[in-house]
Amino acid sequence: MNYSVKSVEQDESIKSEKLIVNMGPQHPATHGVLRLEIETDSEIVTKAIPHIGYLHRCMEKHCESMDFRGVIPFVDRLDYLASMNMEHGYVLAVEQMLGLEIPRRAEYIRVMVAELQRIASHLVAFGTYGIDLGAFTPFLYAFQQRENILSIFESISGGRLLYNYIWIGGVWHDLKSSDLEMISNFVAEFEEQWQRYDTLLTQNKIFKERTAHVGIIPQALCHEYGATGPVLRGSGISHDLRKDKPYSIYSELEFNIPVGEGSVGSVGDCWDRYYVRMVEMRESIKIIKQCLDGIEDGEVMAKVSKVIKPPAGEIYVKTEAPKGEIGYHLISDGKKNPYRLKVKSPCFTHVSMVPELAPGMMIADLVALIGSLDIVLGEVDR
Amino acid sequence: MENRIDSSDALTARKYFSNIWSAIRTTAKGMAITIGYVIKEKEVTVQYPEEREILPSNTRARLYNDVENCTACSQCANICPVNCIYIASKRMPKDAPAKKADNGMPIRMELTQYTIDTALCCYCGLCTTVCPTECITHTKNFEYSKYQLNDMKYDFLSTEMRSLRTAVLAEREE
Repeated sequence: MNYSVKSVEQDESIKSEKLIVNMGPQHPATHGVLRLEIETDSEIVTKAIPHIGYLHRCMEKHCESMDFRGVIPFVDRLDYLASMNMEHGYVLAVEQMLGLEIPRRAEYIRVMVAELQRIASHLVAFGTYGIDLGAFTPFLYAFQQRENILSIFESISGGRLLYNYIWIGGVWHDLKSSDLEMISNFVAEFEEQWQRYDTLLTQNKIFKERTAHVGIIPQALCHEYGATGPVLRGSGISHDLRKDKPYSIYSELEFNIPVGEGSVGSVGDCWDRYYVRMVEMRESIKIIKQCLDGIEDGEVMAKVSKVIKPPAGEIYVKTEAPKGEIGYHLISDGKKNPYRLKVKSPCFTHVSMVPELAPGMMIADLVALIGSLDIVLGEVDR
Repeated sequence: MENRIDSSDALTARKYFSNIWSAIRTTAKGMAITIGYVIKEKEVTVQYPEEREILPSNTRARLYNDVENCTACSQCANICPVNCIYIASKRMPKDAPAKKADNGMPIRMELTQYTIDTALCCYCGLCTTVCPTECITHTKNFEYSKYQLNDMKYDFLSTEMRSLRTAVLAEREE
């Protein structure tokens, strides 16, 4: 008998075409409700189109009918993993419009909770990144520590996820001595935990193989799209608003800005972005330690009139949130509710980079890429 | 950083086996940590319905309005970002005795409706901060899921909700 072996390309009787696969919106690897329309050639992605809007809540328009205090619960829900940072940015915008002077104690508390929240957000990024790449254990350990942070927040603000804690003019509740003790306990324990995470995931050979040289974002592309946060720093550009354009009391605090160095793969790959987040957690611990030492007694709320009416005008304030720069463009016409509130979301920028980066990747690597961008769809859709 | 991953080099037999070895070694290290957790660390999970966590004093769970103290000023309804408070009132009859709230605020209006749709409520706590008599507060009760959406509307003038008053006031004292 005669067999002739033909490859698929040679055999004209077999039609080959590209396969279009929907990744999401319920796919756990897309961190929320991101739908990626992927065109694949066998296992290689040739095209990826992100579809967003599944979590659109009309927040910006809705804010126009709220008074300035009532907006805070809404900005909480932008990036629901980092509510404190979202509030901080918005509140700074209103305060700069009003020209308010904030008590020193309130500034210390704000920086402390913002940095705790940064750690909590990065812990989620770290844990879910492990899940994306097939390691389930780190997720549980990360959430155990995150739970401690949430307990602190629950004790100081009353909410576990959406706090409404940072208010225009200060913060809602003062920190009790028991809260400060909880924070210092957490800070003392965290370094040991960090070493465990490092051994569990960072040093793992399989994890390194999955992330090194994968999803390299060149510096030029970062500049073109306006990437910020750990994505930008992972590509080796040292840019952090806390250092470059200090707001609050960050100018008085000592900390370093970690940047991707390509120590395992090449500069700007998934591992670099991941590791920037890991080191940032340690830097945040440093900041919290300094705040605990330097915290002053006094009021936590400045005198604010009952109805907040900023003078007519506009302002753009950006702060460094865990995912990148969150910017608030606030326009006021002198009435008691904002005329317009535009949110510049870092995750939106990062999602829009995916079509540029995806072609030529394996499907499994695309999961690694999206995990390393660390997106939250609440902020993308708004 | 130890064993840098270099994709440019060709895969030799030596490198192949050293890769496998380092994968086994690093995974075993991770497993050692996991086993350490099993032995050393104490439990972190709470067996929920049997055990309960102690909630902090400023927990924001279901709202409760103490209608005896309410002046029907409707500031809570105005500040509510989601408009979940329905409040209606009428003028007191002329011959009615002068009433005062616990903190001395005169009550000039008679409350005819005070309903909170807890299904809409976003638990931001803004209503509790504007209340002049501090009659509306968050309780620690978070377990009140219902089969019907309409059952989530609580009428605080009903006898059922009024009967909770002493318990809520006692909790507030703590």
